[in-house]
Amino acid sequence: MAIEFKLPDVGEGVAEGEIVQWLVSEGDFVEEHQSVVEVMTDKATVEIPAPASGTITGLYARPGDTVPVGQVLFTLTPGGAARAAPSPAPVPPPSPVPPPAPVDAPAPAAAPAPAPAPAPAPAAAPAPAAASTPLPRRAPSKVLAVPSARRVARELGIDLSRVSGSGRGGVVRRADVEAFHSSGGAAGLAGTAAPAPSPAPAPAPAPAPAPVDAPAPVPAPRQTRVPFRGVRRKIAAAMTRSTSSAVHFTVVEEVDVTDFVELRERAKAIGAESGVKITYTPFIMKATALALGRFPMLNGRLDEEAQEIVRCHYVDLGIATDTQDGLIVPVIRAVETKGVMELARELGELAERTRSGKVRPEELRGSTFSITNAGSIGGILATPIINHPDIAILGVHRIVKRPGVVETPRGERFEARSYMNFSCSVDHRLADGADAARFLAYLRQLLESPGLLAL
Amino acid sequence: MISVIEPDGGVNGYDPGLTDEELLHCYRTMLRARVFDDTCMKLQRSGRISFSIPNLGIEATQVGAASALRRTDWIFPSYRDFGMALYHGVAALAMMHNMFGNASDSARGRQMPAHFSFEEPIHLYSISSPIGTHVPHAVGAARAFQLRGGDEVCLVSFGDGGTSSLGFHSGMNFAGVWRAPVVFLCQNNGYAISCPSDAQTASETYAIKAEAYGMPGVKVDGNDLLAVRQAVVEAVARARRGDGPTLVEARTFRMGGHSTSDDPTRYVPPDVLAEWAQRDPLERFERFLGKRGLWSAEVREGMLATAREEIQSAAHAAEKTAAPGLETIFSDVYADLPDHLRAQGEAAFDLARRKGDAIAGDGEFPL
Amino acid sequence: MPTLTLVQSVNDALRTAMRDDPSVVVFGEDVGPKGGVFLATQGLTAEFGAERCFDTPLSEDGIVGTAIGMAMNGLRPVAEIQFQDFIFPAFDQIVSEAAKLRYRSGGQYTAPLVIRAPYGGGIRGGLYHSQSGEAYFCHTPGLKVVVPSTPHDAKGLLIASIQDPDPVLFLEPKALYRSVKGEVPEGSYRVELSTLRTAREGGDVTIFCYGAMVPVATKAAGRAAESGIECKVIDLRTLLPLDEEGVLEAAKETGRVVVLHEAPRFCGYGSEISALIAEHAIEYMEAPIKRVTGFDTPFPNTLEHHYLPDERRVLDAIEQVHAY
Repeated sequence: MAIEFKLPDVGEGVAEGEIVQWLVSEGDFVEEHQSVVEVMTDKATVEIPAPASGTITGLYARPGDTVPVGQVLFTLTPGGAARAAPSPAPVPPPSPVPPPAPVDAPAPAAAPAPAPAPAPAPAAAPAPAAASTPLPRRAPSKVLAVPSARRVARELGIDLSRVSGSGRGGVVRRADVEAFHSSGGAAGLAGTAAPAPSPAPAPAPAPAPAPVDAPAPVPAPRQTRVPFRGVRRKIAAAMTRSTSSAVHFTVVEEVDVTDFVELRERAKAIGAESGVKITYTPFIMKATALALGRFPMLNGRLDEEAQEIVRCHYVDLGIATDTQDGLIVPVIRAVETKGVMELARELGELAERTRSGKVRPEELRGSTFSITNAGSIGGILATPIINHPDIAILGVHRIVKRPGVVETPRGERFEARSYMNFSCSVDHRLADGADAARFLAYLRQLLESPGLLAL
Repeated sequence: MISVIEPDGGVNGYDPGLTDEELLHCYRTMLRARVFDDTCMKLQRSGRISFSIPNLGIEATQVGAASALRRTDWIFPSYRDFGMALYHGVAALAMMHNMFGNASDSARGRQMPAHFSFEEPIHLYSISSPIGTHVPHAVGAARAFQLRGGDEVCLVSFGDGGTSSLGFHSGMNFAGVWRAPVVFLCQNNGYAISCPSDAQTASETYAIKAEAYGMPGVKVDGNDLLAVRQAVVEAVARARRGDGPTLVEARTFRMGGHSTSDDPTRYVPPDVLAEWAQRDPLERFERFLGKRGLWSAEVREGMLATAREEIQSAAHAAEKTAAPGLETIFSDVYADLPDHLRAQGEAAFDLARRKGDAIAGDGEFPL
Repeated sequence: MPTLTLVQSVNDALRTAMRDDPSVVVFGEDVGPKGGVFLATQGLTAEFGAERCFDTPLSEDGIVGTAIGMAMNGLRPVAEIQFQDFIFPAFDQIVSEAAKLRYRSGGQYTAPLVIRAPYGGGIRGGLYHSQSGEAYFCHTPGLKVVVPSTPHDAKGLLIASIQDPDPVLFLEPKALYRSVKGEVPEGSYRVELSTLRTAREGGDVTIFCYGAMVPVATKAAGRAAESGIECKVIDLRTLLPLDEEGVLEAAKETGRVVVLHEAPRFCGYGSEISALIAEHAIEYMEAPIKRVTGFDTPFPNTLEHHYLPDERRVLDAIEQVHAY
């Protein structure tokens, strides 16, 4: 009920006033509008009236004090008639009461920040760092991209339609273009909901450094800071998601490919007659498809929403391919139905279209198992990261010549043999390491006697 | 300078042409204007309203001039003219709503206090802060009456400072050319904020400025209600019969400051103030009424008590009335609400809701 | 249907409005017997008498101030300011009074008036007969600002402005007064305020313009079409309140925008269009929004044709945004 009377702004922006004199004392009864105190401001010297009739219960400034607007000057208990008895001893002056807090209650239900758009997987490979001639001008497409994205894409010779946009609604931002350009192993299955897989071998190849101007002559900078966003960040999220959900278990098998190498040489010649380039890959694909037939628990993915493990009865293989433009993963369908020659043809034709930017989005998704081939880059062993939410992935490593032991009826013989390592990672929640080991063992069997692929 | 009421209250046989009731209405209005003014000053000083404009000492000019008008005439007031509103029956409560800028304010809280707007019971034109802009408005409105063949008159009121304004010049000029039915009332109250009236113009008087525009100018004693009334009655009659406009200069004194942000003791010589205190318009009229047997100290005390009660309860009622709704920021900008304002209104409501401000209601923009 | 010049259609609009509504009065400097310095009010005093179409003293403040007084008291005044360059003494009346009257009086007093003024360059008028001051007034809530570019629109927009319950500043492109002719229906009709007009269809570049710049835009669009660039030309017509949705739609359709006005660039009306598109349609922009405007200088006389945006300057902008 008591009123704490605060010094008002008496003149259009007055901030403080000096107390000149009190016109009443504590305990006095005052009428509404009766002058209580004289205050001097830079606009005027004014008498401040009581806001209501009642008893003055406390005075909180002395003549000569400068008081800011909003500070309590006196307290008054409204009501009652004039009384002779003085009021009890005044309460000690309160600490200066700040002006009433602005009505700034924390927003009860703050407008939720828009959920980050699920990352459309970054599309294909970044443009090579090497200076390339700018791509020919294309007719304006309907890619949603902010104007700045276009400039950068033009300067770097990037086809915007291959850049996945991180903006709301898939809009391509400049950062997307720059990340696309600089991130090297930032591959993804364009258009799939799945984030970037990591067919990359364990140490991700160092991204082509973002074009950095030559630093000032002296001294050279000791660091370069690259913004952690855009495609790189998407990949990071994907990696994190994969490794934090799947329990990765990797088995590595060493395969004696001496006969395989010889077979492929002869196949190469036959293929050449029909204009088909035959590499090791179609054989490996064929072997993988056969092995997955034996070990179907590795061919499929986890449907988290339905809480079901999906086992596919067909083999669509994603073939991670390092192209001039970087890593992309086109998918060859129904591998189990095709022979090596046909696979080689299809692979070659797909690679050609990939190199010339003509691969369609639907060709980059829907694999049931992936093969990542870092053989041409290097390394003899890896722990490939599964393309979430698949069950497993197979890494293929380079061929090395080493002295080996060959069993013959006449005893052991030492000779130079060719070996190729295969790393198979499985999600140990969905399949067992033993399955991977058995899968690899069978694969090895097939590839060490590649004639068995005809089965 | 025309004067009617002698210092002792006598009028030398002058017949004001008003009944006793009407004379007492004039007096009561001056008292109410003074109480209203005093109450507003105190409300402002105690922080309950943000601003007010004193009209202490100018009551006779306002009420005298207002008393010469019909309800069908239009008043174009200055912001000091509380007395004109009260004379013609504008309720103190309506004026208090404006002082508090609440939901019942005819201006919906959009204006500073004392910037009234009324249509009833008389047209008291919406007051704006720029000086003199309303003078051509009065002339245009009078021109409309003229073109329609009516006999209504527009009274436009401004201070000595107002005569320097562009609007005064344009308005006087047009009114002279059109012979428009306008009465120009210059309340020469001695100061325009801190500028004394003899530094405002080099003209001998304010009334003489009328000659430049081809109309008569009359100077009257502004603290003499009957003198002011007489001059305005004559000017109104001229205008009504089609003889054109008149400029009336009422010499009075602004006993308070310019506004609540102003301290006149910083520039008004105390002896000038003291001198004019001797000429208080209420006391002068009381002496006149007393000679007629219409006044006594009891009459005054009774009327004063009634006025205080009336004004006080108006202030309390207005103070308790809610603030205008948030949508009033966006309405009345145009006759219809355009799309871009609707969008801004919705955003304002949404923001207020997110801040948890009760003014947001349910967060929906109600227009 | 008669073919009229733009100033003739203004005259037709005034006459039509005055015939239909006895509360419409027309006044300003020299608008009476002389008929106005551009003959926009020719014949009105003769037909309607000196109480409905009359001359005033030389006082823009008085013209607009008394117009406000008339409008609040039952008349529909159409006040003429002889050249928009001379409107500034009336700026206080327009901005402080007319635009705010309804708002500050809770609708008790309103100002349904029209202020007509010839604006813009092209007649060798120099600094004080060529200005395009629309931006000053578009920054005034409570006011409406209308700029026709064709005789048909001039009549329909002026009639609609006279009938509008709010104060309207009606800017007439004097360069087009006599140089543009068009069919104008007889009798009374309205072109609604706050609507756009598509002056030319096209899918490659959108040009926003008004007033005397509309024919410049359509000519430039014609030349662009020779190189296979098809431009959509939007005549804004009402600058305030603006049909913002219409602007955004037209901008999104092509993603390449040129904004054109003869008024100076800095803080010109083009800034508002650019900001509007940037705020609400940036993702649809294939190129930066390009403004083609007068220079940030007073309006020069001898070199007027270098100051005013012309076909070539507009074509450059079209090509730039198209090639981006």
